[in-house]
Amino acid sequence: MPSRERATCAGCGLVCDDIEAVVGDDGALERLIRTCPLGDAWFADRVAPSAPLARLGGREAELEAALDEAASILARARAPLVYGLGRTTCETQRAAVALAEAIGATIDPAGPLLDGTSGLAFQARGASTATLGEVRDRAEVVVVWRADPLTTHPRLLERLRLPGGADRELVVVDTRRTATAEQADTFVELESDGEVEALWGLRALVQDENDDGSPLGALAAQLRGCRNGAILHHVRGNVEALALGALVRDLARATHVVSVTLRHEANAAGAEDVLAWQTGYPAAVSFATGHPRANPGELSAAAVLERGDADAALVVGSDPLDHLPPAAAARLRAIPVVTVDATDTATAGAARVAFTTAAPGVHRPGVVHRLDGVPVPLRAPLASERPSDEEVLAAIAERVARAREAAA
Amino acid sequence: MTLRITGGRVYDPANGVNGDLRDVCLRDGKVVDDVDEHATKIDARGMVVMPGGVDIHAHIAGPKVNAARRLAPEEHRGDPVDRTAILRSGTGGTVPSTFVTGYRYALLGYTTVVEAATPPLAARHVLSELRDTPMIDSLFLLLMGNNVALFDLMRQDPARVRDAVAWWLQATGGYGVKLVNPGGVERWKDGNGNVTSLDDDVAGVTPRQVLEAVATAVHELGLPHPVHVHCNNLGVAGNWRTTLDTLKTVEGRRAHLAHLQFHAYGGKPGGTMRSKAPELAEYLGAHPELSADVGQVMFGSATTMTADAPVSARLREVTGGKWVNADTEVETGCGIVPFTYKEKSYVHALQWGIGLELFLLSRDPWRLVLSTDHPNGGSFLSYPKLIRLLMDRDFRNEQLKRANTKAIRRTVLLDDLDREYTLEEIAIVTRAGPARLLGLRDKGHLGAGADADVTIYDDLADREEMFATPRYVIKGGRVVVRDGELVAALAGDLLRVAATHDPAVEDVLRAKFEEHYTVQFDNYPVHEPWLLEPARSVSAEPAA
Repeated sequence: MPSRERATCAGCGLVCDDIEAVVGDDGALERLIRTCPLGDAWFADRVAPSAPLARLGGREAELEAALDEAASILARARAPLVYGLGRTTCETQRAAVALAEAIGATIDPAGPLLDGTSGLAFQARGASTATLGEVRDRAEVVVVWRADPLTTHPRLLERLRLPGGADRELVVVDTRRTATAEQADTFVELESDGEVEALWGLRALVQDENDDGSPLGALAAQLRGCRNGAILHHVRGNVEALALGALVRDLARATHVVSVTLRHEANAAGAEDVLAWQTGYPAAVSFATGHPRANPGELSAAAVLERGDADAALVVGSDPLDHLPPAAAARLRAIPVVTVDATDTATAGAARVAFTTAAPGVHRPGVVHRLDGVPVPLRAPLASERPSDEEVLAAIAERVARAREAAA
Repeated sequence: MTLRITGGRVYDPANGVNGDLRDVCLRDGKVVDDVDEHATKIDARGMVVMPGGVDIHAHIAGPKVNAARRLAPEEHRGDPVDRTAILRSGTGGTVPSTFVTGYRYALLGYTTVVEAATPPLAARHVLSELRDTPMIDSLFLLLMGNNVALFDLMRQDPARVRDAVAWWLQATGGYGVKLVNPGGVERWKDGNGNVTSLDDDVAGVTPRQVLEAVATAVHELGLPHPVHVHCNNLGVAGNWRTTLDTLKTVEGRRAHLAHLQFHAYGGKPGGTMRSKAPELAEYLGAHPELSADVGQVMFGSATTMTADAPVSARLREVTGGKWVNADTEVETGCGIVPFTYKEKSYVHALQWGIGLELFLLSRDPWRLVLSTDHPNGGSFLSYPKLIRLLMDRDFRNEQLKRANTKAIRRTVLLDDLDREYTLEEIAIVTRAGPARLLGLRDKGHLGAGADADVTIYDDLADREEMFATPRYVIKGGRVVVRDGELVAALAGDLLRVAATHDPAVEDVLRAKFEEHYTVQFDNYPVHEPWLLEPARSVSAEPAA
């Protein structure tokens, strides 16, 4: 008899925890219930990894030899970089930060690059936000700002019960008519490169209580007039993030409006949380001087790589060759790289040492912080004999510590 | 490991020991009557020996604290902490990183800390941070004062409130129950403004009903710590009436009021603030079932962080600076505003003065204990200075002269209030009292069977220096601080409550979850052993 196991999908920042995995008597996954296409692909990539557990220079290798080589690369490096973290658990992130500290690395989560905002706007002014349930149950106006969740977070609208009938308004604001826009009650088209200007314009319209008859004027009136509203967004860059934050803050004087970043990776929020609680800073942290130092402009992975500063990299739960700016990606190709991931990636394929581990959420439990910060448990509906990413990091850390002791 | 601390003056008020010269013996993590001659000796001649400190109300872990960390890079930049052979690196400021929080509490002689405001939905996050907060045993209080699922039960099925509270504690690893501006946060989140009285309507219940229902549930469950209340109308002139109304509402049940100073204001709402500390001190003194921590403000940098989000929205308009608001579905809100208390400000000086009045007028140190509501009124690092303010009249009078004169004249501090706290009283308000109020029988004293958490101070005339730099701190029988330096790192325990509930309540709650939450009922209870262990349970003792 196949059994039905509870599962949580970590395929995107929504982290749907109502999934069921139907598992056959042989322990194999038969099918998934309630997943979206993104979720199906996420599980499929991890259930039976195509890559071997350990590779050295692209060829299958013994685990011990690969661990030794990884530790040797990282211990020898003068300026190592630790990168990624958004596609694994908080437990593994804790292990990654500890290792980064031990080797004096610079550590930077992939989230800021993938989600278009480095957190500088938050540091400068703060933010007003909410968990998804608040948006679902209270927001009379939901604005999707420059995001296409139907593509990137396929179950978002369903989970927020949107479109929501006569008393709830779904407004999509974007430079093009997206799939999500097709579902909206209202679509407001922006000029390309006019996003920041549009946000400042909205602010003025909100402050002046002036409906100028334009689509933005109508949106300003709607936001001002609602008792509760939410802006779900994918901003690009700090200026846009600051402008959005300022709009929300102005609106807070008149009504209750929050904003939520539609983070892509399942645990992008957790990566920044773990780093912040262990170091005081959410991203772009260097341990080179023995204590944490942070500066997104100077110490982000892209900046460090583009300057040619990093001489080795440990990539955890991420595929930077797929998303880094070209100059940074070129540097990453030129230095020794160790990858630890539950799935095969372009970066792993090009790495000096690659570990393809048991998958959090498929073979191992753990906790991730959903895009709204809510901690959600991942479950382990299937078995795997491979070690977890956390165990691989611990094994590397142990070897690094031994090497240090021997050298001391 | 066995230890004998010899020749020190021991302050163990729970056992009636008041500065007596005697040995304290430790074995296997506990205080024992005697150890053999092979025990390691600590020569404490000329020193003062106390139980490890117990902080009854602080904000040290969880999403709110962490958002505040992210908000303060400039503070962290100015206060880096290096990695050593035994310690992790980190940063300080008013909201230190987790490791530094643990280290600095230990360096101050504190060994047990209460995280006072945990959204149950965020329990896993809080537990993760506590696991990264070394040196101290920790426990957390669950926010239950704006929980709409619980409000539903109060209206529809009040007999089940008690079981629901017990379930929530069990599901999260919590220790006690906290009410923050009951009803007010929910009303504000819904866009209707804050409550102003205990009888305002919030989703079909009133703050008064919430207070009564939860205080009764906690009482009937026999939780070791009574309901921990942050009253409505925090910071508002005239709020002392709300505070008194709250105390009268919970009459007949035990209750602990958080940061009483912030709730002790006379005057009219929107008008000039006055002190009502004498009246509240009097009321507290006359009602032995009640207790409070002071929530002293200290001049200088602070970070206000609270589940009382409407208060933060008001403060945002005062500072015009950084502000975080974060609404948690079903359960609570959260607001953060970095803040500086200034000596010359009338309001800040009055708040400072009211805190001191409460301390100096208190009749029973066991029931009015020390806190700064860290980091709301100031960092826990300011406790030594606060202790000096209480113990050293000349120092206090000097400080009074520097504060806003108009404000200080509105207090009784200039009226020959010459009380000086004794070392025994300090031992009560910083360890014995909080431990007793929390129902932690193994903490806050040095009798046989107590946890071997001990702090040893040089007996210095400058009480600030004395309490800022203990000579030795012993945690669970191990010396962790020697001559003001951390010499060992260790993990603390989670202290949680064991309270039973009728399993039938789970079906009721399951239905509520489907209606209100965006996480599944089965995924809500924390079951991960790496988050929950090591832990020690304190049993609830329901009244027979």
